[in-house]
Amino acid sequence: MCSRLRLVAIVSVAVVCAACAPITVRSYVERGANISAYRTYNWQAVGARSTGDPRLDNNRFFHDRIQSAVDAQLTGKGYEKTTSPDVLVLYHAHVEPEGTLLIDLVDARSDRLLWRGWATGGFDAAVDDQSWMERRIDETVGRILKQLPPRL
Amino acid sequence: MRRLPLIAIATLSALVATGCATMTVGAHVQHELNLSAYHTFDWGTPDALPASDPRFERNPFFTDRLLGAVEKGLVGRGFALSTSATPDLLVHYHATIARQPRVIREDPADGSCTRHDCVIEITRYEAATLVLDIVDARTNVLLWRGWAQGDADDILNNRGRMAKKIDESVARMLRRLPPKL
Repeated sequence: MCSRLRLVAIVSVAVVCAACAPITVRSYVERGANISAYRTYNWQAVGARSTGDPRLDNNRFFHDRIQSAVDAQLTGKGYEKTTSPDVLVLYHAHVEPEGTLLIDLVDARSDRLLWRGWATGGFDAAVDDQSWMERRIDETVGRILKQLPPRL
Repeated sequence: MRRLPLIAIATLSALVATGCATMTVGAHVQHELNLSAYHTFDWGTPDALPASDPRFERNPFFTDRLLGAVEKGLVGRGFALSTSATPDLLVHYHATIARQPRVIREDPADGSCTRHDCVIEITRYEAATLVLDIVDARTNVLLWRGWAQGDADDILNNRGRMAKKIDESVARMLRRLPPKL
């Protein structure tokens, strides 16, 4: 009885907060980097990294959603995904503090960081509800990559 | 409609005050997953992440109870424990303990909050998380992940309560597994 009531209460509060939880977005461009000259990208191969949340570690539903959201945004901005890319993309997600998602664009040849964008408050509260989490990821990635300077 | 969130917050506040132990359950599933082609399951070797907490990992009572609950639950859902070396599904579990924030809020229905976000205090507590993964044994692709989270102290200090929490969390998680068609 107790647990059922409580679950309802928690779900309701989670839904309330969906509307109000703010996503804060920041970005950084490497000085002198001509980001708009790059045309092609691909994902950098990285091993599994801890997110600080056992629900999200090695969770391909979370991982695939972030990658497909980034793919959609970059394609929309005119980048092409190729096997010999100009830019390597990687992301890092961690629940502390407040669900941080960070996206890096790295020069594939020099391995130099070109651009970094990140958001806090994007997904941590939404994990228990898959479709809500997916919407939050799409929104967060969209807002981060909106900060990326346009291609020329 | 606007009153609904307030009622929810009021209910939550009331429940926090009564102090009954929370357990939240969630699951992620492959879109349009059809499990009807899968018949047998077996236990898989653990992944690198997340590592299980030794307080659970080295507790035979915990492991026995959990394995029993999951096997019983999956059989109840129409799967059979594999008798061959080639099961259709592999099941992994992780039982972790991590300090997590717990946010206690004021009830805005009482008037105005002291702070704009109504937060009274954020305390940290030891949260136990049980994660259950169901993987396609042939392709090694994760098909479903379920989890339950609750207060670790509540589970670790009492065998009877541990057994009850394991049974409850497994049953509630597996309810989120899509039915075989």
